Order: sequence, then C-alpha cells, then structure tokens
Amino acid sequence: MALQEDNLWYKDAVIYQTHVRTFCDSNGDGIGDFVGLTQRLDYLQELGTNTIWLLPFYPSPLRDDGYDIADYTTVHPSYGTLDDFKAFLTAAHNRGLRVVIEMVMNHTSDQHPWFQEARSSRDNPKRDWYVWSDTDAKYQGVRIIFIDTELSNWTWDPVSKSYYWHRFFSHQPDLNFDNPMVFEAMWEIMKFWLDMGVDGFRLDAVPYLVEREGTSCENLPETHAIIKEVRKRLDQFYPGRMLLAEANQWPADVRAYFGDGDEFHTAFHFPLMPRMFMAVKLEDRKPIIEILDQTPPIPENCQWCIFLRNHDELTLEMVTDIERDYMYDEYATDKTMRINLGIRRRLAPMMENDRRRIELLNGLLMSMPGTPIIYYGDEIGMGDNIYLGDRNGVRTPMQWNGGTNAGFSFADPERLYSPLISNSLYGYQVVNVDSQRRFNHSLLSWMKALIKTRNSYRVFSRGTMEFLRPSNHRVLAYIRELGNEKILVVNNLSSSAQAVELDMQRYKGYIPIEMFGRNLFPRFGDLPYLLTLGPYQFYWFRLRRI
Amino acid sequence: MADETFLSDDLLRQLMSVGEVDLLVGILSHSSANTMRRAAHYVEKSLQQNFVRQRVAIISVDGGAAEDAGSDYHSGDGQPGDSLNSKGLSSLRTIHRITAGFNGTPSLGLALRTILSSSDLLRAKACAVVSPVTSSASPEWVANLLRPAFRDNFDFVAPLYSRHKFQGLLARNLLYPMTRALFGRRIRELYSDEWAFSSRLGTLCLNEEDVWREEAVRSRPEAWMGISALTSDFRCCQVYLGEKPPPPDGAGPDLVEVLRQTVGSLFWLLETHQQAWMERKGSEPVPTFGPDHAVTAEPMEINRARMFEMFQNGVKELGPILQLILSPETFASIQGIATLEQQFFRFGSELWVTMLYEFAASYHHSVINRDHLVQALVPLYRGKIYAFLAEFSEASAADMEAVSEHLCLEFERQKPYLTEKWKVGVEVKS
Repeated sequence: MALQEDNLWYKDAVIYQTHVRTFCDSNGDGIGDFVGLTQRLDYLQELGTNTIWLLPFYPSPLRDDGYDIADYTTVHPSYGTLDDFKAFLTAAHNRGLRVVIEMVMNHTSDQHPWFQEARSSRDNPKRDWYVWSDTDAKYQGVRIIFIDTELSNWTWDPVSKSYYWHRFFSHQPDLNFDNPMVFEAMWEIMKFWLDMGVDGFRLDAVPYLVEREGTSCENLPETHAIIKEVRKRLDQFYPGRMLLAEANQWPADVRAYFGDGDEFHTAFHFPLMPRMFMAVKLEDRKPIIEILDQTPPIPENCQWCIFLRNHDELTLEMVTDIERDYMYDEYATDKTMRINLGIRRRLAPMMENDRRRIELLNGLLMSMPGTPIIYYGDEIGMGDNIYLGDRNGVRTPMQWNGGTNAGFSFADPERLYSPLISNSLYGYQVVNVDSQRRFNHSLLSWMKALIKTRNSYRVFSRGTMEFLRPSNHRVLAYIRELGNEKILVVNNLSSSAQAVELDMQRYKGYIPIEMFGRNLFPRFGDLPYLLTLGPYQFYWFRLRRI
Repeated sequence: MADETFLSDDLLRQLMSVGEVDLLVGILSHSSANTMRRAAHYVEKSLQQNFVRQRVAIISVDGGAAEDAGSDYHSGDGQPGDSLNSKGLSSLRTIHRITAGFNGTPSLGLALRTILSSSDLLRAKACAVVSPVTSSASPEWVANLLRPAFRDNFDFVAPLYSRHKFQGLLARNLLYPMTRALFGRRIRELYSDEWAFSSRLGTLCLNEEDVWREEAVRSRPEAWMGISALTSDFRCCQVYLGEKPPPPDGAGPDLVEVLRQTVGSLFWLLETHQQAWMERKGSEPVPTFGPDHAVTAEPMEINRARMFEMFQNGVKELGPILQLILSPETFASIQGIATLEQQFFRFGSELWVTMLYEFAASYHHSVINRDHLVQALVPLYRGKIYAFLAEFSEASAADMEAVSEHLCLEFERQKPYLTEKWKVGVEVKS
C-alpha cells in the first residue's frame, strides 16, 4: 500500500506511539531494535493505525529516556544502525504507515560534542551555542519544570566556571537560539532526516527555545519566529511533511503555535486529556465541555492531537490545584504513582481494568475532534509497574504473547532492559496480543473495530463538532458534521444506566444508524429523542436522510 | 388535587436529569425573580467555592416568580455563569439548577415539601434552605449551614444571627425561652429563614403525610421541622451566620400575622408533641459553631408610646375573651398592670410566663376559636415589649443576655404549671 498523496494527511491520521526499545528485540540483547520493530509493522497495520510516532532513538546517555541527545544524525547502537532505520522507514511506507520522529531542539545532552566544546573554554567557537551566565540570578522567577529533581534552572559548570541554563534536567543544557548558527545546525539535522523520508517531527519542549529577562521565558515571540522559519523551509523544500508541537500549555497559549497556519501543523491538546479522566470519575461532562469551550478555533490546515496516555506522566500541569488534588485522590492514591505534577500510570490500571471505562475513553478519543494517539500496549490493556523509577513503569516491554519474555525478546529475562509486567491481572501471560487476536470480543479486536469505523468516515478527522446539551449531565453528546456526513455521538459518563432526551429537531426526518451494529433506530421527530444507555455505554450514530 | 400529584412532570424530568447529589440547597420564596436570582447567585458561589468535588443541586421553589426566574436558570456546563474559570476556584462538577412552581396555592410548607421530595429523590445527604429576603446572606452562610449536616452528621442545623438588642424581640421574649423550656434544647432561632438538615430528618418529615395541610406547617415549616428533630432526638446544632438586618419597612407581615404564624405554630406543635415535651425537664445547650452570638448596638427607632396605648386598649376591648383564656388570677394581674401609668408600667417575667402557659393550655382545650385565641395575645405581647424596651433601653449586650437567661429559667421553672393545666384543663368560665 503506497502512501496517499495528501498534504493534510495528519488530519486523518491515527497515530501509534511507541519506543523502539520497548517494542520488539530481534537480536536477543534484551533491548528492542529497529529490526524487531520492522517485523511487527504488520500488527500496526492490522490495528488500523496509519502513523507511527517514535520516541528518541538517537545516541544518548539515556538519562531522560533518550530526550538527552548526544548525536542527532544516527541511531543509538542498542537499537541498530542507520541502515536498519532506513529499512524500517521503507517497510513502514510500503504498508501505508507514515513515520514521525522526535526532534529535540531546545536542548542537548551534556555529552553532546557541541556542549563538550562549549564548556571547554570561554573562547571556544561553540561557547555561544548554549546559554551561559556568571551568576544564577538571570531570568529569576522562571518556573522549574522538573520540581522533583531540580532546584534551579541554572547549573554551575565546574569546567568553564560559569552557570548554564536548562529548563529540564541539569544534564540537558538549553541551546542558544539567539545564535543563528544554532538554528542552521538544527535545520541541517532536520534536513538529514527529511531527505531520508521521515514524514514529520514531533518538536519537543517548544515553548522554551528562547530566553528573555523579565519574562516567563515561555512562548516568546522570538520562539514563534524560529518555528515560522522552520515551517517556511519545510513547506518550501519538503511539502507534505508535518510538525507536531509539544507545548504543555493552556489552549489559548498553544493556539499561537498554529500561527496563521504557518507554524505547527498539529499540537497536543494537553488540558483535554486529564479532563477526560476527570469527567469519567466525576460522572459529569462539565470538565470536557468547559475546556473545549475555552479552546479557540485553529486555522483550517491545522489539527489538534489528542491522547489518553503517553510515555510521560499523565501531566496535571494544565489543571487547577483543586482539579489536581482530585485527580491525585482518585487516580493516584498511592503516592508512588505520582511524579512531578502528574501520575505515572497506564490507561487500564487507572480504569481499574474496567473494560467499559477503557472502551468509553477510547470511544471519546476516537470521536472527538483531533488526531488520536494510541500509546503502545494500551490497545490490549497493558498494566504498569509503579515501582520502577522515573516514568519507566509505563515503558515496559510490549506483551506479544504468553511465552518467554512475552514474545518481546529471546534474551534471558534478567537481561531485558526492563522487567516485564507479570502480575496476575495485567501480566503478559494474561494480557497479550496473541491471546487477544483469538477472540472477537477482546479489547484488541474491539479497538480494531473502533479504529476501522473511525477511519471509514472522514467526518471524525475533519468535521466540525457541536455539543448537544441535554439536561442529563452524565451524558456527553455531540454532533460531528462534514458536508453531508453527520455523526451523533452519545456517551454515558456514569457507572449507572441513564436516560437522556436529545433535542434533535434540527435533524428532523433523519434516521440514526448505530455505526457498529449498523442497526436502524427510530427516526428523529419533533419530540425530544429519548435514548437509554447502560453504564459507560456510548453510541455512534450515522445520521441519514432517506 | 390529590397529594401525589404535587410534584409536576416538569420537576420530575429535571430531577431525573440531575440524578443523585450529595448536597441540595433550596431557595424558598414567594418573592420576585430578582431576589431569587440574587440568592441563586450567592448559593452557586458558595457551592463553587466550598464544595468543589460534591454533586450539588440548587432548587428554587417560588410560587409566583418561577417562570421568569427560570428563563436563565437551568443547569449549565461551560455556559456563562457556570464556568467561572479554569484557573480559579470552581466546582469540578456541573451545578444543577432546578426550578419548581406550584400547582396549588403557594405556601412555605408546600415549598418545603417540594424540597424534601426532591432531596429524597436525589438522595441528597444534606440539604440547606435559604431565603432570598435575607439581604445579608452570603456564600459563607450556605457553607456554614451545610457543613455540620454534611460532614459532622448533624440532623438539624439552626442559624444564629447577630441582631440589635431590640430586634428579634418575639424570639427573645417568647419563642426561644418557651421552646427551650418545653423541648429542653437551647436553640435560639427555630423560627428562621435559613436552616439545614440531614437526609434522615428530611425523610422523616417527608413521610409525615398528615401534616401538610396544617396551617402551622404551611406557614412555618422550619419550626415544625426543628421541633420534629428535637422531639425525635436527632442531633441538633446551631451555627453562627452573621448579622441579620430587619426586612425593609413594610416588607414583612404585620404583627398579628407574625404571631398567628409563630405562636399559633408553637401552640400547635405543643399539641402534636405533647408526650415529648411533658417528659423533658430543664434544658441543655446544643453544639454551637462559629464565633459567639453577639448583640449589635446600632440605634433603632421604635414607637413605644403607641405600643402602650394598644396594650391598654386591647386589654379593655378583649376582656371577655381574655377571661375565657386566662385564670382569674392572671387576668386580674393583667388588668392591674393595664391601669398603671406609663412610667410605672412593668410586665414581670413571672406573669408573662404564666399568662403564656395559660394561653397554650387554652389553645389545647380549644376554649375559643384557636385563631382568635392567638390574636388575643397580640395586645398583651405589645405590652410586654413596651415594658421590655422601657426597662432595658440602656442595657448592655451582656445585660441583655442575662435578662434572656433569666426569662428562660422562668419558663423552665413554671413548666409544671403548664403540664398541670394541659392535663386537667382550665376552668371554662361562662
């Protein structure tokens, strides 16, 4: 299957996020690699996803799961070679799968040659590639992001006897984008991968590229100017490639990263994610409607990316203190589950392995406006290991089958980069791809059907959304519309059966057709349309005027 | 109209949409849509700020203003007025707003019954009732009322207010000391516009199917509810709310109507709970939350001369009726003080309590039409208040508390007299 020629392909994407290290180990060293990943591409195709987003696979000391890059133009030896990557890319494209890779522009590892040169002497030509200061008093008041580990955004460098700036870990010095050479070097790196054929970049830590005294050093105009320049060159030389922004900010702030359609193509909608979890726990649609009402419109050629879980903690930065406390109390009672301002758990354990809630959340993910992202393993309900450090508990090996090492690797179990999930509830003997392939009613089979249905109607990816506001607040209902395609989505957020009356007068005469069973429901008329829903049940109706 | 139809289909539909709640706040009024909106605003603000995680609903029950009040008064999610903001204090959940009108003649009793029914159907753990006519009410009031019922398992939460020493005279001279003496609990404001209750008490009251047509319940349902709590040994407490200014001139009912509602209600409650009060001896304080109840001291204009005149005329004109109600000794004493010059006039506590107990017993024995009986109390009450104002015009807040306490003890001391009169009947004079 060849890739479709459509520069707006990211709007119709269903993205599968994974890490080379976690997916499949082909050479028995206990670490996933590109050859293994390539072997498993059929699975991603079978699932119905059409885009792969890979976490960083560059050479790195791996002190931040690869986001501390030491060399931008090759592959970490544990994951294979550059040729392995090229083979993977070709194989993915042959299956109609696009590939999005990470690009960390904001900082490098302190092991990167650029930084090693920069710190070597104050006169080194690379000195000005990073942000140095003789005191740690500059940019006072700028928030510290990793509050669990960092006390300051400045770290003393004993080699060059001055402070360097870092918004993340102290081993990740920020690059100095006031130096035009830094930008050009970064563009050269991007060209390297674009020339190879990658379909897009997820740009990490975007808001922090530039620093200015007296500001929060976030979302500055100078940062936007840099993004615009990247986008301009991308459109000019590599049309059809995509930029995805990681900007963990309020929607109104993220909106700026779309510019006039001349900055990012897509951006994560961070505040929506915790509110989906909150809405299900509260059994109330308010959090979802509230945040989407606050979300400004974006340019026609742009798209939000939405997700339930990812490789990081479930971030609670974009919620109020009250909301954060509630999320902690409801989803992270054990303090081990918390890290920074978030919760390091996977979807299934957070839902107490309740299939109905897992389905409901995935139903929301697939039916709300935006490009959905599935985090590897969540499609089979994998568990987590909160006793592993950092966020490694949600980065355990993919569970392919119930055999040795879950089919992930033939290495000795002790050699695996991470212990497998092996408890009686989420262990690989119980939760794995092979066993779920065997049953039509497994979560995996259900997910395939869900994605297939979504992929069959472009209205999900490109249509407008309008909330219906029935008086029953445990029911979240909305209309998706694109031309003649009209979809009614009705979700019961509560743990008990609900009746809801929908005002469908505008659609009088339309026949709702339930999209999974394709059954006809009574035609809409003048009266409020009565529906009953079981606990956590949802309906997708295609509306047809026949 | 049959009782079972008093909940309208529209209300039921709204309740279905709300589902289950933790807290319900009823706004109980016959007043205008504007005052209702103001009350709804501070109630919502209170819930937003103080009960961010709880499932909450506000029900406004207004016989006359529901229609226009309801136009912008429905449950909201992300609609103007509901989503305060995402960065500040705000309830996590939808705040449900319900409006209920009446099918029948509006009354506070029917309104409370609607709230009780709603609370029961919504399975609210605690419910507060507030009145839009209280101009000083604030979001904190609602929270202070709800907390003891919701978090501390109290069943009945009565308010405490700051008042001028000459404000709330009926409560100070009659309602509080008499209910305290008879029912044995020191709750100052059983007759109030604001109170809260638990689901247990709410259910008990709702299941009292025979009371809803009684005038005492229709007009002062809060007192009936409070006395029901006291006599059934529910956990009761008081919570200090703040200053309660008098209603603007002409806004409240006249004195005759007030006495008919309050004293009439009290006498009726004595009858319906006679076994309970007869068994009680003395009185006990109830837990009180918040700062001490303080008496404020702003000057108030009261026309005392006219009150004395009305007392004297009343005793003269109602002599034959008072003779039917009071014992000969008491009647003579009343007649005696009615002949005194203003500057020598006193209405002592002992006579006041004896007289009231005889009124209560006569009410019980229906020596005359009960409504007329209560109305006959009006001039005597005026005399008592005249004397009170004259005697304590210079008294300090502490003095006033001592006077109140003295009166309460006098009510308690004479309680056996009431019991005796109640059991054997008064001598009906021809």
